[in-house]
Formats: sequence, C-alpha cells, structure tokens
Amino acid sequence: MPLVIFVDDSETALASTKMVTSSMPIEVKQYTEAQVALAEIKAGMTPDLIITDLNMPVMNGFEFLKALREVPSTKRTPCLMLTTETKAELKQQGKALGLTGWIVKPFNPAQLKQAITRVLRLPA
Amino acid sequence: MLILNSLDSLLEHIKNVQEDVVNLSHDSIVKINGFIEKNNLEVDDDVLTAMQYQDIVSQQLNATIEAIDSMRSAIEVFSHTYKNDENLATESITKLQEKLDATLKEAQDKKDRFSGKSALEDADDAIEFF
Repeated sequence: MPLVIFVDDSETALASTKMVTSSMPIEVKQYTEAQVALAEIKAGMTPDLIITDLNMPVMNGFEFLKALREVPSTKRTPCLMLTTETKAELKQQGKALGLTGWIVKPFNPAQLKQAITRVLRLPA
Repeated sequence: MLILNSLDSLLEHIKNVQEDVVNLSHDSIVKINGFIEKNNLEVDDDVLTAMQYQDIVSQQLNATIEAIDSMRSAIEVFSHTYKNDENLATESITKLQEKLDATLKEAQDKKDRFSGKSALEDADDAIEFF
C-alpha cells in the first residue's frame, strides 16, 4: 500500500485526517514535528505522498519541503500543503518549491480523499 | 508608571485565561476523539469540520498570546527606561507606541492568516493543484 505521511503540530488536525483516510487503501504515518519525519526519511522511509502543515514550531512547512528536496529519495515525492493560510504569495512560494497542491483548513473530507486518490492514482 | 503596571497585570490575566481556554479546548477534543475511536464511531463531514475548528481556535488564541507577550515586553522596556531616566520618557513612550502599533498590526494579520476557509465568505472547497 502507498505510504502517506501527515505532518502537523496540531493533534486535532492529525486526528481529523486519520478519520478521513482510515477507509482508504493507504498506509498512514503521522508526525507532530517535521524534523522527526525528516529524520525518518533520511533513515530510509520512502513516503509516496507527504501532506504537511505550514505554520509549525522548529521546522515550518516550507523548511521541511526544502529539506525534502535535498534528500534523493524525496526529491520528486508529491507534497500537499494543508494549512489555514490563504495568501497567494505563500502559494506561489510553495509552487516554486515544488509543491503539488494547496489545501485550506478546515478541509472538506471528500475533497481531501479525492486529492489523495488523484495524486497517488488510486482506483476511484 | 502605575497605570502601566495595571495594564501589564491585565494583559497577564488575559493571557492566562487564553492559555487555559487553549488547554481546555485541546483536552475536550482529545476526549471526544478518544470516545469516537474507542466506540468505533463513524463521523460525518460536519463533525470532522467541527473538530478542525478547534485547531483554528487554538491558533487564533496562541497568536493573540504572542501579541500579549510582545506588548508586555515593550511595556517592561519602557518602564525600565522611565525608572532610570525620566528625561528619556518622552522618547521612550514614542517607541512604546510604535512597538504596540506594530504588535497590533501583526496580530491582526495573523487573525486573517490563521482563519483558513472559516473567514472567507466565498470559500469553495476546491483544492488548488499546481
């Protein structure tokens, strides 16, 4: 099964995404700290999709994304930003960093499922 | 500057109340989530959206807590200067006002940034792909 990792410092956000994805044919790992997820990736974990929050302490979503692009195994891994931020300039910044898409919280559960299905090319 | 001491105490009180609310709100959603998981309940989209509002509430309150910390720090710097040299007070109060104005502007900006779709009147649910 494809591995999807969620990174968000909010336990509530992680609980919500866990409920939404529980019926999907994917393996899910969740992290409250981007630097911990990054360490596991550097140690060999190879996610098929990364969904991350933007505003997080220690390492924010953009810093995480930049670091991911420096790791050979995640250089081209699809990444979605899941955030409360709606500013166009931030979306442009994300796009320039190779972000696949932008989801604004609170997310619509059906839309999140569709996005994961589309990016991973899962059977609809 | 007794009035600043009172203002500082008031800000500290507001901050403490907000921190308590953040913690209670977090505990509340953790308990609800635990109940849902324990009983294997299936939640609908409305419940999932409501759960996400807790995240937005916490972010909004934490942003105002940061603003309060910044204001209290500026007040402390001013009070210290005033105690040491009253002649510098006029200059310092201008700096204090500038600092408080900047803090307010930053806090207002964060209010918009951390509201997500809940603050947008014409928000649609489309996910933007690049």
